[in-house]
Formats: sequence, C-alpha cells, structure tokens
Amino acid sequence: MLRALIIALALCLPVSVAHAQSTGQSPTEDLQTVLQRHADEVANPGRRSVGDLIADLVGSGQPNVATFLERWQDKGVYQRSTDGLFFYAKRQGDEYALTNMTTGEPAGSVPTDIMTEIRPNGGVRRVIGAALVQFQLSDPDRARRVAALDAISRSPDADQIEPLRDSIEGEGDPVLRLRKERLAGHLRARFGKSTDDRIGAINELSSALDVETRSVLNLILTTTSEVAASVPEGTNVARILGVGTDISEAEAYARLVSANLAPAPIPRDAIKAALTANITDGRVGGIPVGQLGSEASRTAAYDALAAAGTVPPSVTAEIRRAALASNIFYDAYTEKDAAVTDAARAALDEVEARVARYQIIDISMDALSLASIYFLAAIGLAITFGVMGVINMAHGEFIMMGAYTGYVVQLFIPDYTISLLVALPLAFAVTFGAGVAMERLVIRHLYHRPLETLLATFGISIALQQLAKNIFGTQARPLTSPGWLDGAWVINDVVQIANIRIAIFVLALIFLGLILFVLKRTRLGLEVRSVTQNPGMAASMGINPDRINMLTFGLGSGIAGIAGVAIGLYAKVTSEMGSDYIVQSFMTVVVGGVGNVWGTLAGASLIGGLQKGIEFFNPSNTLAAQTYMILFIILFIQFRPKGIVALKGRAAGD
Amino acid sequence: MTQGFLSKNPSVLWFLAALGLFTLCVTVLSETAGVGLLSTSFIKTLGKTLCLCLIAVAMDVVWGYCGILSLGHFAFFGIGGYAIGMWLMYARTEIIVIRSLNSAAIPPTPEEITDAVGQQIFGVVGATDFPWLWAFSDSLFLQLLMVVLVPGLLALAFGWLAFRSRVTGVYLSILTQAMTLALSLYLFQNDSGLRGNNGLSGLQNIPGFEKTPQAVISLWFFWASALALGLGYVLFAWVVSGKMGSVIRGIRDNESRVRFLGYHVETYKLFVFTLTAIVSGIAGALYYPQAGIINPAEVAPIASIYLAVWVAIGGRGRLYGAILGAAVVSLLSSWFTGGGAPNIPLGFYTIQWTDWWLVLLGFSFVAVTLFFPKGIGGLFDLVVRKGDQK
Repeated sequence: MLRALIIALALCLPVSVAHAQSTGQSPTEDLQTVLQRHADEVANPGRRSVGDLIADLVGSGQPNVATFLERWQDKGVYQRSTDGLFFYAKRQGDEYALTNMTTGEPAGSVPTDIMTEIRPNGGVRRVIGAALVQFQLSDPDRARRVAALDAISRSPDADQIEPLRDSIEGEGDPVLRLRKERLAGHLRARFGKSTDDRIGAINELSSALDVETRSVLNLILTTTSEVAASVPEGTNVARILGVGTDISEAEAYARLVSANLAPAPIPRDAIKAALTANITDGRVGGIPVGQLGSEASRTAAYDALAAAGTVPPSVTAEIRRAALASNIFYDAYTEKDAAVTDAARAALDEVEARVARYQIIDISMDALSLASIYFLAAIGLAITFGVMGVINMAHGEFIMMGAYTGYVVQLFIPDYTISLLVALPLAFAVTFGAGVAMERLVIRHLYHRPLETLLATFGISIALQQLAKNIFGTQARPLTSPGWLDGAWVINDVVQIANIRIAIFVLALIFLGLILFVLKRTRLGLEVRSVTQNPGMAASMGINPDRINMLTFGLGSGIAGIAGVAIGLYAKVTSEMGSDYIVQSFMTVVVGGVGNVWGTLAGASLIGGLQKGIEFFNPSNTLAAQTYMILFIILFIQFRPKGIVALKGRAAGD
Repeated sequence: MTQGFLSKNPSVLWFLAALGLFTLCVTVLSETAGVGLLSTSFIKTLGKTLCLCLIAVAMDVVWGYCGILSLGHFAFFGIGGYAIGMWLMYARTEIIVIRSLNSAAIPPTPEEITDAVGQQIFGVVGATDFPWLWAFSDSLFLQLLMVVLVPGLLALAFGWLAFRSRVTGVYLSILTQAMTLALSLYLFQNDSGLRGNNGLSGLQNIPGFEKTPQAVISLWFFWASALALGLGYVLFAWVVSGKMGSVIRGIRDNESRVRFLGYHVETYKLFVFTLTAIVSGIAGALYYPQAGIINPAEVAPIASIYLAVWVAIGGRGRLYGAILGAAVVSLLSSWFTGGGAPNIPLGFYTIQWTDWWLVLLGFSFVAVTLFFPKGIGGLFDLVVRKGDQK
C-alpha cells in the first residue's frame, strides 16, 4: 500500500518537473532542475568546488533560492535514493515528511531508509552563509536585513563588498541605508581592490564619529612588535623604538629572548634554586652558604658554578648591552601598503580630534547635570544656612525624608508618572512640616549660638538616620522613574545625555527661578530679608520674626525634600544618602558665598564642573577627583573667604 | 609644674589621683596581675577609652577654651594611628617573612626580604612595590617621629592658611570637615599606598613580643594610655591656666577685642590648634594597636563630629568634663551596641538597643544642648559652688 503510494509519487514528480519545464520555456529554470544538473555537488559539496553551483543557483533568479540555501546550510535537505531528487524533509516518527522545493507544498511521507541526509561541512556552510547574506540584505523583513548587517560587521570579508553595494540601491529604510553605506565604506577601506580605492574609502571615513569606524581604522593600523638586526625589506614600519626611551631595557631584552635572538636571563628564583641544588660541604662554588645573603656573593657563586659547567652561564650586563645595541626594535603595521596606513593614520587623527571635541561637550553636559544635583541639594541649605545663618546638619536627612516619601508613594500608586506628581508636593509637605517642627522645638532656642545649632541638629541627624534604618531597613530602596524619563537624548555617537539628568537640570532651573521670585518679589521674601538683616527693626515694623523664621526654615527644608525625590530617582534611596550630600552641600554654599542664591548657583557650577573636569583627566578614579576638588576648595576659601559672590556693605552682616 | 601651678589648679591633682586609683584597680582586677574579673577585651576597651579621653581633652582645649570648633581632629588621630600602624605592620611582616625565608638552604638577600614583605602587605590591593609613604616604615623611631610630625605639620599648614585669612566660626568648622573628608577619600583609594579600604590590620601583634600573651600586652597599653592621658591632662591644664590661658579664653569670648589689646591672635590659635593636633596623633598611635585595625572609615567626618558630641555632653570649658563625656558616651555606646543593654518588650514591638541606641543618643544630645549647655560637668557646679573652672 505504502509502496504503491511512493511509486505513484515518484511517477508524479518527474511529470510535474517536465510540466514546469514544458510550460515555462522561460530563460529561468526550475530550482530542482538546476540542482539536478549539479546533483553530485549538492549531495556531496566541497568547499572549493561549491562556488560554481552557488553561482548557477544565484544566476537562475529563482525566488526560492534563498530558502534552499538556508535549509541546505541547516542540514534540512535530503536526497531520495530512488530517483536522486532533492526534498526538504522533516522526521516524523519512522518517516520523513517531504516538501516539494519548487512549490513549497507537502510531497507525502516516505520511510527513512530511502532518504539520504545531506550534510555540508563547516567550510561549505560558511560559503553558503556568505552567499545567503546577499539575499538577506534585500530581504523584505527588516529584522533579517539587520541580522545580515550584524553578521557582516561581525566577520567582515572582501566578498561582501559587491552584494552589500548592490543592496544599497533598493534599501528603503533610511537608517539601514545609512548603515549599509557606512559598512560598505568600512569593507572598502579594509579589503578594497586597489590602493586608490582603499585610500578613497578611508578618506571618506575621516568624517565619521562612531566607534565602529574608529575600530576599522585601528584595525588597519594594527601593529606588531618586532625586533631584528635590520629592518627587513618591504616592512611598513610604524615607528622605531629607542631602548630606554620608548621601551624599557628589561622589556626590550624580553623581546629579544622571545625572538630567540638572545639567551634568556636567569631569574633570581632560578639562581637561588640552582645554588640550593649545588651545595657541597656547606659551600657553593667555593663560597660558604652563610655568606650567600647578598646579590653580589650569589652572582659570584653562580658564575663559579657556570665556569665549572654545572649550570648554564648567566646573562651578564655586557651580553645584554651588546644584544640590545645590535638589534633594532620597531613596530610594524600588519598592512603592507604605506600609503594606506598613512591615509588611515591621518583619518584616525581627524576622527579622534573630533571625538575629543565632542567629549569636551559631553563632559560639560555631565558637569552641568552634576552641578544641578549639587544645586538642588544645596539650595535649601542656602536658605536655612545662607539666609538665616542656621547650620542644619540634618539637611541631608531632609533630603533622605523626601526620597523615602517618594518611595512610599510609589508603594501606594503603581503608576510612576502619577506617583511622581503626587510625591513632589507630598515630599515638600512632609519636610516642610519636619522643618517647622524642628525650628519650633530646637533651633528657636539656639539662635545666636550657631555652633550649638550645629551640634543639636547633628543629634537630630543621627537620630533620623537611625530611625529611617529601623523603619526601612539598611538595603537600598528603589525609586523608579517613569518610562518617559528612561532613555537618553542621543545627539551623536559621543554626546548623549540621560533624560533624567535633563529633568533634574530643568527642576534645578525651576527652583532657581522660584526661590528668586519668592525672595525678591513676594511679601514673604521681603519679610524674610528684613528679619535676616535686622530682626529688632523688622519686629518694630510689625513683622513677626518668629513666624518668618519658622516659615523660612520650613521653606528651606521643604525644598530639600523635593531635591530628595529628584536625587532618589537618579541614585538609590538609603538611610545614608543624606550624609553623602551634606558636606558637599555646605561646601557649595560656602564656596558660592553665603546669603545669596546666585552664589549657590556659582558654587554648584564650580564644584560640579571641577569634579567632572578632574575626572576627565583621571577617569578611573572618582575618589581622587573628589579629594583634589576638596583640596582645591580648602585653598579657594583661603583666598576668598566670603565665597565667589560675596555680599558687600551692610548686607554682609557681622 | 611649679607649686603655684598645682595649688592654683587643685582639680589636676584630683584628676591624677583618680586616674592613678583607676589604673591600680584595673591592674589588680585584670587577668594578668590579679583577680581576673576583667577580661582582656574589656581592658582593651578601657585602654581605648582612655585614648579617646585624651583626644577629647585636646578637643576641649581647642573648642571649649579657644573657641575653634574643629570638625577634623579625628583626622590627626587617624594619621597617628596610620603612622604607628605602618611600623607595626612592616616589622611584623618582616619577622614572619624572614622566618619563612630562613627555612631555605640559602640565607635571604635584603632584596628578597623587601620584595616578600611588599608582596605580603600590598598584595591585597594588587601592588607589590613599596610606595614612598613607607620609606621610613622599617624604623620605629622615625615612625614615632611621624606620629608627632605629620599631624603637627598638617595642622600647622592648615591652621596657618585658615587663621591667616581669618576664616572663623562656622566656616572654619566646615573647612576642617572638608579636610578630614579629603583625607578619608584619599585613603579609600587603593593606590593611596595605605592599602585602600582594607586599612592596616594585625596591629595588636607587637613585633618582638610574639610570645607575650595579649592579656599582658593589653595591660601595657592600658598603662601607656593612662600615662599619656595623665601627662596630656597636666600639659593642657598648664596651657589653659595662667596668662596664656586667659588670652586663649579671651579669643573664644571676643576675638576682635583680644586682637585690639595687641595680642597676636593667629599665633595663639595656631599654637593651640597644632598642639592639640599633635596630642590627637599620639592618642591615635596608642589607640589603634589596641583596636588592632585601622581603616579609612575611622577618619570619616562623622567621627570628628562625634568627638565634638562627647565634649559637649561632658561639658565644654573644663578638662575633666571632656574626659567624662568621652568615657561615658563611648562606654555607654559600646554597652548598648554590644548587646549589653536589655531589650525592652512593648508587647507590639520590642525595642532593641542595637537599633535604637543612636536614636536615643541623637535626641539626648539635643536635650543636652538645649537644657544642659554645661553638660555632665555642669553637675559638679551644683555640688561644688566655688568651682574655680570657668
């Protein structure tokens, strides 16, 4: 029964092939026909000979060639031993379910024993893969085109230039088109046919900025460290190294040893081992063991052993010097063509100069965002400390309170945008309340005793910190920013800035405007300034200094709370986050000039800019940057004790 | 130390007598010399407390008498500790290295010893070479000199800069705080040459006394700390008495007026600042061999604020007040945080003092500042009406 079916199928297939051929009569042939012409090669492909077959397949222009190549590569193609026809097959129990290659329709099932699986080896699969790329490059599915481009940039090679170029024409997606053009440029620069072609491509690369281009140029400029008695003919020398200046003597000698141009030096441990192994009657080479506690006597003993032939001779300073003098140390480009490397060097210099310029912009943006964080952290302090003269060591804990408020709000309101909108005013309210309470209960009694305010508020600070630890635990709590704050504003490959930093910058600007407005344009601000300058006179004018002090302190603390929400979005919320900012905040206020909002802005910009500037020169070490920044501030205050924006005249007080 | 000085300052004699009695009691009650009621670790705690008392006295002189609220004196304490710690660590590692190298058939060369010691000490931060900071670490005498010189010179330079440009009050406090922050940040770096945040460890092992039990060594350090505290107390009592003491207190009360009277205020302030820094360094050098380990967290700004807290709680402007404050707060602190205090069950919540001690300390500190500005020492005034300290 089954047999009958198979025979029927077998009879049927050639008919259908013949039918296609007879009706088509077109210049393009059926896929199966092409394959049958190269049947041996398909069934048993070789890495070198498979090229013709693939060229023929591609030349046939059949739409299903790409599918075939893929299945072939994935070992999904089978040959039927009865008639030599090829099928796609899938194992189903004891049988294979066949698929007609040309039509893509099921072609029945056959027992396993009459189908031969075709297994192209690794080399062939690579060739197939390379051929596939050109199909994938023009694939209607964008994801597959991207995958093909990724594959090319992962393992670029000369054969890909043509298909890549051909696919640029039909590319509809502008992003991919750009990428294809760029990639084609990279390929030409590395594998172009003629020197002129490559130099042309390299010159085009010099206007780029991306990491990939830089790595391509660097690849062209790859050097190897060489050493030889004289530089061989045809070497593209990058530079000749001077021993002792460009390369240390020890390093140079190690190169000689690994190039087999000089004997290996005998390390100290080996000398010691050799001496230990050759102790006879308490002596080594005639020197008593007890005297071997110095380098000189050990060398002498070893030389004695070497003279007797027991150990290999040591490498003396003369041998070293002679070997170093008679050889040339140089770096050679792996690329032989000097014109290409020169062009690449010039292009890379240009690219790097541009990258450096953009990096400065990037650093400035970083500095600006750091400055806005310092400004936010310090602006509340600028009011309580700067305007009122109260040293509030618990200011950092108000920041922490604000951040935890944001965290708690998020526990109740799952939507991050709404919760943020609720958290900002709530944080203000909570810390405003805490600030007013603190002013009423503690600070009110300590005006005129600034140093004691410092200590009392420090007490509050450690108590609040520990309370937060008791309530929320020691581990960091997340304060998740809404989705629209994730991501970054990418200007180019070098300059980009996270949205959250932009938001913090905007927040800082809003606060600057708000504080200035409150202090300069409102009744409250007028009263605050009058109480600050002369409480007695202000009181006799009908202003209640108690009330004003309370409100001012509450305002400063409330702003700290809002800053806490902003900082919490950017960093983690812990009970210790306040103490991270408190010293910096005080320095910001002091450096900027006490009693002046503009001064705080100046101080924050100086500190933020300085810290990022120092980090730029020593990027691996933020601790060092902070250390140097603080040292700078200490020195700065020596020369401008009143800060950048110093108040003059009566407003300066004391 | 004339007859006149002591007769004018009877509290010095009282203090020395009390300190002597205390030392005697502890010695008798210790494991080594007598009854064995006090464990070795408790004797170490007492010895460390005496060192803290010493730096508290120094802090009292600079703040309570001279009016400079320095929030950086723990930096000097830490520097003293690092200076002695370098020698302790080097010398001990060298002994161990030499012992292990001596087991080889061939005697070691000096280079081998240095390399092996460097490997032992700096392997943890991925280095092997000795940084320049360690140039004198093989000499006990030079390192002891460092204990005095480095804090002294640092304080001299810092003070000269700050006082010369008349940075005073709160600004000076913040500046000193910045100084100690910079120092701790520097020490936290792995390439600072002082083993980064690993700090120096194993300091309780005194080179050359491997055979001596810790019980005996702890007693020695206790005596040394008591002696240092006694000497420091007498020194500072002498500094703050007499005409110089009056000038110093005058600076605290009204700096401008003292300046207008013709005194060179900056010199006095610089003298007091530097002297107290040196004493702080010595206190640190005695403290850390008892603690056994020093790391950069020790010189974090908060430590110096705590120092001010002790002095304020004890009572500023009287030397014994500072000692009381330091002893009471630090001993209470280790009692509470060490789990010595019983937990208080409230039914719905149990107050665990390890969690709540800092809250209590913080609020009691606010209370002291508000209601007892004279601190614990002020209680003496209630008893002794004719107290001559002011």
